Amino acid sequence: MKFSVTKQRSRWWTVSATVILIGLISAIVSFFSLGYPLKPGLDFVGGTRLQLELDCTLPNNCDRPIQIGQVRQVVAEQGLENSSIQVVGEERNGLSIRSKVLDTQKRTQLIDALSAEIGEFDRSQIRIDTVGPTIGRQIFVAGLLSLLVALAGIILYVSIRFQFDYALFAIVALFHDVLVTLGVFSVLGLVAGLEIDSLFLVALLTIIGFSVNDTVVIYDRIREKSQRNPNESIASLVDSAVNETLTRSINTTLTSLLSLVAILLFGGETLKDFALALIVGFISGAYSSIFIAGSLLEWWRQRTGKPLTDPKFADSSGGSDATSTASK
Amino acid sequence: MQRQRSLLLLIVVLVFSAITVLFRFPLPLGLDLRGGAQLTIQVQPSEEVRKITPEVMEATESVIRNRVNGLGVSEPLIQRIENQQQIVVQLPGVSDPAQAERVLGGTAQLDFRKQKPGTSQQLQQLLAQRQQLRQQLDALRSQLQGQSTFEQADEQLQQALAETQQQLQNVQEQFPQLFERTGLTGKYLEDAFANPPRQGGSWSVNLRFDSEGGDRFAELSKDIAGTGRTIGIFLDNRLLSAPVVRAEFAETGITGGGAEITGNFDAQEANNLAIQLKGGALPVPVEIVENRTVGATLGRDSVRRSIYAACGGLVLVLVFMVFYYRLAGALADVALVIYAILTLASYAFVGVTITLPGIAGFILSIGMAVDANVLIFERTREEMRAGKSLYRSVESGFYRAFTSILDSNVTTLIACGALFWFGTGFVKGFALTLGIGVLISMFTALTCSRTLLFFTISFPQFRRRELFDPNAPKMAKAPRMVDRAGEKS
Repeated sequence: MKFSVTKQRSRWWTVSATVILIGLISAIVSFFSLGYPLKPGLDFVGGTRLQLELDCTLPNNCDRPIQIGQVRQVVAEQGLENSSIQVVGEERNGLSIRSKVLDTQKRTQLIDALSAEIGEFDRSQIRIDTVGPTIGRQIFVAGLLSLLVALAGIILYVSIRFQFDYALFAIVALFHDVLVTLGVFSVLGLVAGLEIDSLFLVALLTIIGFSVNDTVVIYDRIREKSQRNPNESIASLVDSAVNETLTRSINTTLTSLLSLVAILLFGGETLKDFALALIVGFISGAYSSIFIAGSLLEWWRQRTGKPLTDPKFADSSGGSDATSTASK
Repeated sequence: MQRQRSLLLLIVVLVFSAITVLFRFPLPLGLDLRGGAQLTIQVQPSEEVRKITPEVMEATESVIRNRVNGLGVSEPLIQRIENQQQIVVQLPGVSDPAQAERVLGGTAQLDFRKQKPGTSQQLQQLLAQRQQLRQQLDALRSQLQGQSTFEQADEQLQQALAETQQQLQNVQEQFPQLFERTGLTGKYLEDAFANPPRQGGSWSVNLRFDSEGGDRFAELSKDIAGTGRTIGIFLDNRLLSAPVVRAEFAETGITGGGAEITGNFDAQEANNLAIQLKGGALPVPVEIVENRTVGATLGRDSVRRSIYAACGGLVLVLVFMVFYYRLAGALADVALVIYAILTLASYAFVGVTITLPGIAGFILSIGMAVDANVLIFERTREEMRAGKSLYRSVESGFYRAFTSILDSNVTTLIACGALFWFGTGFVKGFALTLGIGVLISMFTALTCSRTLLFFTISFPQFRRRELFDPNAPKMAKAPRMVDRAGEKS
């Protein structure tokens, strides 16, 4: 069965535009209600997060779940009214408190006060993350910088190996995936209070790598086909290239998703959001490389009336083109 | 076939050396996996020290190192991040992060004290005791270093270490009682430097005070010269050195704002003392700007679950490959296991510390390692459907897939490179593990899968199309015979 991505391109573009638009709306809503388009974790804005668990080896210590109201009262007594408090764990005997930056003394006071009111906590299960605001900014800037450098490097490489407009549309597909992921997490931030941390930045960069990876495989096929059949129409070349690489796109996304779902289901708590971001990004990446990258290229080349084949490629009788450079 | 055989041999050798590497150098676990605290300490300029130079950083690190040693943590890691003016301290297995923060976050205090009369014998005793305990501690530490980090280090050894540290701590705490404060603090010290030996003596340490410090020091040295008592030099309430003032200074004291501490120092010791003095003398405020502490059992829980996830992901991928690509998939699975072993060995080789994001990078790279094989096998099937012989199909499958594999992996490597150069801490770890994974996956896909495939189809019983593509139409016998004849030429 052969299907055409170029004939129904407006349909695929509408699907993508809708998803991105929803994300955008959510980001705007989030910006006006929270002050940020996505809910930032303490990695970026600084603060202290305490994760505590009741020590269940002590008698009568965990015989009833933690009452969030009681915790809120203790936290408020310490002058930390604006903290967000969650009761976690299946038995409801874990606590996660996120507050402004607490120094050692205040933190110890808080834990002591909680121990007195709620019950003794297991000191070997404790988790403390304190990130100063400057560090948060550092992490954010470092992430943004690596994002930009990665983009520049990818554009350069794809331009050299293919042509400049290939690179441009690979980047469009890449932004598509980044925007979809950002949008989904913005919605999740509004709906489920999901925060993004520095692992989310890492996930974005991985998605970028994966997205281009996927697009490049299809471009590679378009390039190869256009060299062999220089007289075929652009639309038909793109369609058959997409069709021929379809099984590969699906299988590769599937194997990557298998590992990611494994992390999501069995991995440690900190990795779950990371896996979720990658799952969203990879699915979007497979979609964009199949439905967006090729059809954009076809649309653009139709409009400009440029042949798909670089004359230099056609001359080189189908051999390796590693030495070819970008053409205007 | 000769080439295939030697390649196969090479792969076997590689795998065996990789396994040996993994047994000899087990992968160290990050703090998020074994529990402990990581503190980032920001060094800040002050009124007196407006610019943080590398020397200031070194001196500050030396003070921090001293304080860490005082905490009695085994295998602490202290790292300077020069351009950010930060010092990262890792304290594995620390049970009381609050104490660590208090000790590390305070401002270093260097001060010169006067030994109280009638305490000479006691001081000698304590000094000897301290010397002995320190040697004992060093011996225990080097023993511990030899232990595997993956296993729980020997309990007894750990305990002995903790006890010795406690004893040393007790001895250290007795020193301040033998001295009284003089008000001469590090504030008045301008410089301290190690002095190479003259005329067959040993190294010494020179001090330079400012004018007020010089006066105070003259007074102090005049007081105790010739009494046999010493000047106690304390850093953070810990005795660094206790020099005696020679009797000839009893009249005037040591004037001129300079002093020389002699003793049986070697170059290393003299340098250390100078750095410590200078460090104590530099009142640069430090602040703990980041604290990530993971409880010991919480960390162990993460390891267990992440390893489950890694195994689960790997098994699912292996099953999928056999199900979809049959014999080729099974061979790819072998290549994938080789991939996993080689990758882990490279981690050990490069010295990657396994953290949670690192494990994620590894799991992800397994999924991506499959991609190269998928590309090749899809190509092989296409060629088979186009009517080529099995051998030729496999051959052109590898040939044709190469540019795709190269281009797609290089783009991922570019992203990894950007993450590695600009990222901080664990982001770097993730980029490194993913990057190594991508490189090795290219090697295993292009070499291992290839060699295994060609080796296998050199046996006629495996040269059946349905072993590669369940939907492949059965070919007539004649063309296969022709092809096989062609292969041999």
